[in-house]
Amino acid sequence: MPKTKSKRQQQIEAVALYPVDWLEERSGLIGGLRYFLFRKVPAETNWFHTLGSATLTAFIVQAVTGVILAMYYKPSAELNPETGKPIAYESIETITNDLTLGWLVRGMHRWGASVFIILLFLHMGRVFLFGAYKYPRELNWLVGAVLLLMAMGEGLTGYLLPWDQTSYWATVVAININANAPIAGPFLGDFLRGGQEIGSETLTRFYSLHMLVIPGGLAGLIALHLYLVVRLGITPPPWTKAAGGYEAQPNGGRPARTGLVNPSPRGNGNGGRERRES
Amino acid sequence: MASKEQREQFKLYKEDVERRGKQFYPYAMFHDTIMSFVVVSVIAALAAVWYFTAEETAGEAGVLGPRYAEPADPATTSFVPRPDWYFYFLFYLLRIFKWPESVILGTVGIPTILMMLLFALPFLDRRRERRIVRRPVAVVVALMVIASMGILTYKGATAEEPSATSGEALLVGNDMPTDDEQVVAGADLFAKVGCLNCHAYGSQGADGPGPDVSEVGDQGKGEEYWVQWIRNPQSLKPGTSMPAFPNLTDEQLQNLAVFLEASKSGGGGG
Ligand code: HEM
Repeated sequence: MPKTKSKRQQQIEAVALYPVDWLEERSGLIGGLRYFLFRKVPAETNWFHTLGSATLTAFIVQAVTGVILAMYYKPSAELNPETGKPIAYESIETITNDLTLGWLVRGMHRWGASVFIILLFLHMGRVFLFGAYKYPRELNWLVGAVLLLMAMGEGLTGYLLPWDQTSYWATVVAININANAPIAGPFLGDFLRGGQEIGSETLTRFYSLHMLVIPGGLAGLIALHLYLVVRLGITPPPWTKAAGGYEAQPNGGRPARTGLVNPSPRGNGNGGRERRES
Repeated sequence: MASKEQREQFKLYKEDVERRGKQFYPYAMFHDTIMSFVVVSVIAALAAVWYFTAEETAGEAGVLGPRYAEPADPATTSFVPRPDWYFYFLFYLLRIFKWPESVILGTVGIPTILMMLLFALPFLDRRRERRIVRRPVAVVVALMVIASMGILTYKGATAEEPSATSGEALLVGNDMPTDDEQVVAGADLFAKVGCLNCHAYGSQGADGPGPDVSEVGDQGKGEEYWVQWIRNPQSLKPGTSMPAFPNLTDEQLQNLAVFLEASKSGGGGG
C-alpha cells in the first residue's frame, strides 16, 4: 500500500475542510476555538473546578426548557370565562398534565432553577476557598456577584408566572419589601407592580423580565466571565505544591505572608520586602 | 494598583502553567463533561419525582410539593406567603425584625450589607496568601455568614404556618366576649382574609412581619381610620409593607374595623 494519500483522498479532505478554512480565513473563529480547547490549565485542576461549567450546564438547561415553555405559556391573569380560572394558570395546567413530556420540560425548568442556584453557591464557595478572587481576578469575582444577583432575580420573577396562590402571595410580600427600600423603593414597587395592585400588568412585566431582560443580561455576563477565565487562567488548589510555588518570591524567598493576620514571621510585617531589596 | 509582587507572582503562575500544565481538552473537559451529565440527570430525576408523586389536583403534594397550588385569588387570602427556598433566609429576617421601627433592617439593611460585603471582598482581602489555614479572618467570617444563612433558611423552612381559625376562637383566645355579631363577623374575616399570615392576635397568627394587633383598640384611632387603613395602608403610612385589600366590601371593612376597635387590653368589650 502506498504511504501517501491517494489523489482521491486528498480531494475529499480538501472538500471537507473547505468550510472550516473558509470560516477561519474570514473570522479567526476556528483559531479561537482551537486556543480555547488546547490552552493549558494547571496540572492540579480537579473536580472542584467542574462547578463553574456545571453551573453553565444548569443555565443552558434553563434556557432550553424556558424556550419550550414560552411556546405554550400564556402570560395573562384574565379569567377564562368558561372555566373561571386565570389563563396563565390554565396554560401551566395544560403544560404539566396534557402536553407530551410537558411535565418533564416544566419539571426540569422548575427544579433546574434550584440546582442552578445551589451550583452557583457551590462554585462561589470553591472560588472563595481557593482564594481565586485575588489579583488579577477581582473583576471576575464582581462579574460573578452580579450573575448571582441576576440569577436570584430570575427566581423571583419566575416564581410568579404559574399565577397560583403560592406564587401570587409570595410576590405580594416580595414587592412590598422592595417598595419599602429608601429612596428608590416606592418607584421600584410601582415599576414591578405596574400599577396599584398586583394583576395582569404585573404578570406581563415579570414575564418580560424573566424571559428577555434578565436572561439576556445573564448570557452576556457569562460570556464576559468565561472570557476572563480563559484570559487569566484557572487558580490551582491552595494546598498543592504548585500553589506553594506560585506564592514563592522570585528570588526563592519565603511564601507570601504580607497582611493583617500573618505578618512575616521575622516580624517587620512587610512581607520581607525591605530585606529582599537590601 | 497591583503591587510588583503580585505581578511577578502572576507571571510565575503563567510560566508554570505553560511548563507543567495540561491541555484543557481532553483532560479538564473530560471532568466537566461527566459533571454536566450528572447535573442534567439530577435535574431530570427531580422533575420525575416531583411529577409522579404529586396529583393532578391543585395542592395535592408529593415528595417535592404539589404541581401547582390553587389559582391565584386576590380576594380570599388565607394563604401563607412562601417564597422559593433560596429566599427563606430573607423571609425569616422579616420575622425577626417585625416591629415597624426595625423592619427596615430586615428588608433593606441586612441584605444591603451582605451585598456590599459580596462585592467588596476582593478589595477588602488584598493579601496574596491563598492557603486556607493562613486566612483565618476570611474563613471565620465566611463560616459565620454560611452558618447564619443556613440557620435562617432552616428556620424559614420550618416556620409554623398560622392555622386557620374561626372568629370565635380568635376572640376567646384573646379573652374577648363573643356576643357582638359585628365583632364576631369581623373576627371571622380577620381569620379568613389572611391577616393572620402577618399579624399575631391573642395566641394565634404569625409573629410578623406585621405587629401583634390583639390590643390595637387601645390606640383609639376609631373605626373610620381602620376602614381606610385596610383598604389602602399606603395612603395613611407611605412605605408600609402591609398590602392593600381593595377587594373587601364596605360592609366587610366596617366589620373588621369594629372588631379591631373592640380589641382592647384587659379583655376588650368593656
Ligand atoms: C451563571 C453563573 C456562573 C457561571 C456559568 C460561571 C462559570 C465559570 C466557569 C466555567 C469558570 C472556570 C472553571 C471553574 O473555576 O469552575 C469560572 C471561574 C470563576 N468564577 Fe464563575 N460562574 C458563575 C458565577 C460566579 C459567581 C457567582 C462568582 C463569585 C461571586 C464567580 C466567580 C468566579 C471566579 C473568580 C472565577 C475564576 C476562578 C479561578 O481563577 O480559579 N462565578 N466561572
